[in-house]
Amino acid sequence: MFENNHLKDPRQSLELLLEEATLMGAKRLIRYPNRKFFGYFCSYFPEELILAAGLEPLRLLPDSENPTPVELPAYCCSLARGTLDMEVREKWSDLVGIGFTHTCDTMQCLSGIWAACGNSKTVDIVPPVMLNAPGASSYYHAELGSLLNELTALTKHEIQNEALRAALVLCANTRKLVTELDALRFNLPSPLIFSLLRAGQLMPRPEYALALENCLPLLKDMAKETHNKANVLVSSAVLENNSLFEMIEELGGRVVADDTCTGYRHYSGVTVSGSENLLLDIVQRYTNMPPCPCKNRSLNERISYLTALAKQRHAQGAIIIVRKYCEPHAWDAVTLSESFRRCGIRTLTLELEGANVGGQERTRLQAFLESLLEGPGL
Amino acid sequence: MQVSQEKRRNYRPLVSSKTLQKTMGRYYALTNYHRYWGKLMRRPLAWVTSGAPVELLRAFNIHSAYPEQYAAIYSARNATVNLCEVAEAAGYSQDLCSYARSNIGGVLRPDLAPLGGMPKPDLLVACNNICGTVLKWYEVLARHFDVPLLVLDTPFLTGELTTQAKEYVLEQLNAMVTDLEKITHRRLDEKKLAQQMSLSREITSLWIETRQYCRASPSPLNAPDLFINMAPIVVLRGSHEGINFYRKLRDEVKERVDLAQGAIENERIRLVWDNIAIWPQLFSFYKMFSEKGACFVTDTYSGGWAVEQAPGTPLESLAATYTEVFLNRSPKYRANQLINLIKEFKADGFVMHSNRSCKPYSLVQEVIRKEVIHETGVPGLMIEADMADPRAYAEEPVRNRVQAFLETFDDL
Ligand code: SF4
Ligand code: SF4
Repeated sequence: MFENNHLKDPRQSLELLLEEATLMGAKRLIRYPNRKFFGYFCSYFPEELILAAGLEPLRLLPDSENPTPVELPAYCCSLARGTLDMEVREKWSDLVGIGFTHTCDTMQCLSGIWAACGNSKTVDIVPPVMLNAPGASSYYHAELGSLLNELTALTKHEIQNEALRAALVLCANTRKLVTELDALRFNLPSPLIFSLLRAGQLMPRPEYALALENCLPLLKDMAKETHNKANVLVSSAVLENNSLFEMIEELGGRVVADDTCTGYRHYSGVTVSGSENLLLDIVQRYTNMPPCPCKNRSLNERISYLTALAKQRHAQGAIIIVRKYCEPHAWDAVTLSESFRRCGIRTLTLELEGANVGGQERTRLQAFLESLLEGPGL
Repeated sequence: MQVSQEKRRNYRPLVSSKTLQKTMGRYYALTNYHRYWGKLMRRPLAWVTSGAPVELLRAFNIHSAYPEQYAAIYSARNATVNLCEVAEAAGYSQDLCSYARSNIGGVLRPDLAPLGGMPKPDLLVACNNICGTVLKWYEVLARHFDVPLLVLDTPFLTGELTTQAKEYVLEQLNAMVTDLEKITHRRLDEKKLAQQMSLSREITSLWIETRQYCRASPSPLNAPDLFINMAPIVVLRGSHEGINFYRKLRDEVKERVDLAQGAIENERIRLVWDNIAIWPQLFSFYKMFSEKGACFVTDTYSGGWAVEQAPGTPLESLAATYTEVFLNRSPKYRANQLINLIKEFKADGFVMHSNRSCKPYSLVQEVIRKEVIHETGVPGLMIEADMADPRAYAEEPVRNRVQAFLETFDDL
């Protein structure tokens, strides 16, 4: 069993986080036998509510690259295929339930397929797509209310306001710590940061916050060295491992801005507090976080935000990853790269089957990073 | 000549197809010459998605053009590959919806598009009740044309329509009214909206009635008839021309039933079709069935426009009707829909087109297929293709699968 006092030592804390990032929740029952986990997809699923229901949020990530569950056609992203395949292989059978957020068409379909052919109990939330539309926030608020009821029915425990408040505090604290970590990314290896961010979606949150807090001073110490690498922004959907970040680092790049679903975007945005009605704070937080391509706050907000972020972080280049068959990210990739280019930020768009990069990507990444190291932008 | 071709096709042409051609021809001419009359008549041109609340636009005197409809024409006229390649060269992935890709290709290279491409829009109206793709697609168009984009966000229904979803859509419709008032410099004429709603009800009920005749055996219509004849209900919903056309079609179909005339000769197998038509193979694909006596007596795709309006005030009705469309609903709902069609139309089997372009339609089909087979006991075939891009169509494997499937009915 996992011992809390491991967390006191900064090095052990760091090791724990890195291990958890690699394990992707696989040893949850051995490490945390007294906890109940609740699986979820997408950064728009409000973790606060899972925590308030006394459950541990576990982000579901695929463990293989090219699975072919019979329920899905081959022209579907490997995130959906991989996680559904794990359901078929009963990898999620201990979960109290699985939460789906309506984001893209694939997720929308996956939720229905899962309910029809899986054994886990599924729960849905359908947030507004047009986050600033008239009526969007009251609708969102009512959806959160329904989700709260569903989670109550699932656990057969009333979710108390105090539990919700504690969850909000924990999430706010975690996001604050993660933001401190994000500020170190100039001077720390990119895969290291990426792992630490991923761990926070895969292990019990109180332990995560504690471990991260403990190892932050150590990380700050490590971050004293300056570097001579090519600064890049990475934008992507879910990346379940460090393969890409490792290759970037190895080829002389450094990820100075991370707009990935499993990276910093998951935590970014302002945490709101102080409303009488706590659900309203949650609505605010998820409405105002930097949007993914599945959400719209206004026509060009995402594009302008990322372009500004790249400039502010002095990114010389941007790497846009499109998971094969992922429509929302493929759509934005075109406008995004035009916008970067207009600002003199070179752009490389890579299509990947899963999260792994191979020989072909190496050649393209190498050429791209070399060009950044050699000369000024276009 | 005519006769021998018909024989070869095993296909009974509709007399009303002349009216259809005329009606649609007028609509396309009007649309394509919009730049000459639009300003004069103070009728802006909107590009709209197939699930947009067009009654409201018509009440504002807005003329609507449907990129999806044009994309189907591009495909039937073999222009899709060229147009998609233009979009792909501009960075749009080959895995994106082929309607969207060919539309964007046509925007970038109108010279390659049939009908000279689409006329430039004054505004864009998208409703995500059919998919999330339309939002991304229309964002691209809004940036390109620099015109207002109005979006109606209809939350996906995992179960029944909830009060919160209905209120949210209603609130957006109210805001859309304000936006349209600004764009058109006109106040909403409530009477005109009510009149549009009633015309829309009328055209829908004609389409429903026409389709119901296909419960007869032999069926007076086959899937390609349904696909071709759905054009006016999409683009001319709530227009007198549309209504006149459907009256003619209805009468002809009714007469066929009275005379026991089937759409195909020797109807032996009755099937239900699921998903968008395979436009580039509209005749060759369905011929594989008709020559074996298999008729598609109904389908879920063109049936999407055969849905009665929900009750309430015009805006309430629009909110519910447009949110409850079948593509915005769970696989459970869709399976029940198919099961009911099979029972109602006494079908012997069903064919699903696993359409690479359309994820919301297609990704859930396998679980639906299993459920429908389980509930009805009839066989269901899955064919992988694309509604518009012929590059995704592998003739030989499709033919083999269809043949094997049809052989299972040999005892009938
Ligand atoms: S956003 Fe893309 S990667 Fe994520 S589930 Fe949807 S299609 Fe798959
Ligand atoms: S074909 Fe499917 S994905 Fe394409 S616009 Fe229509 S509903 Fe959307």
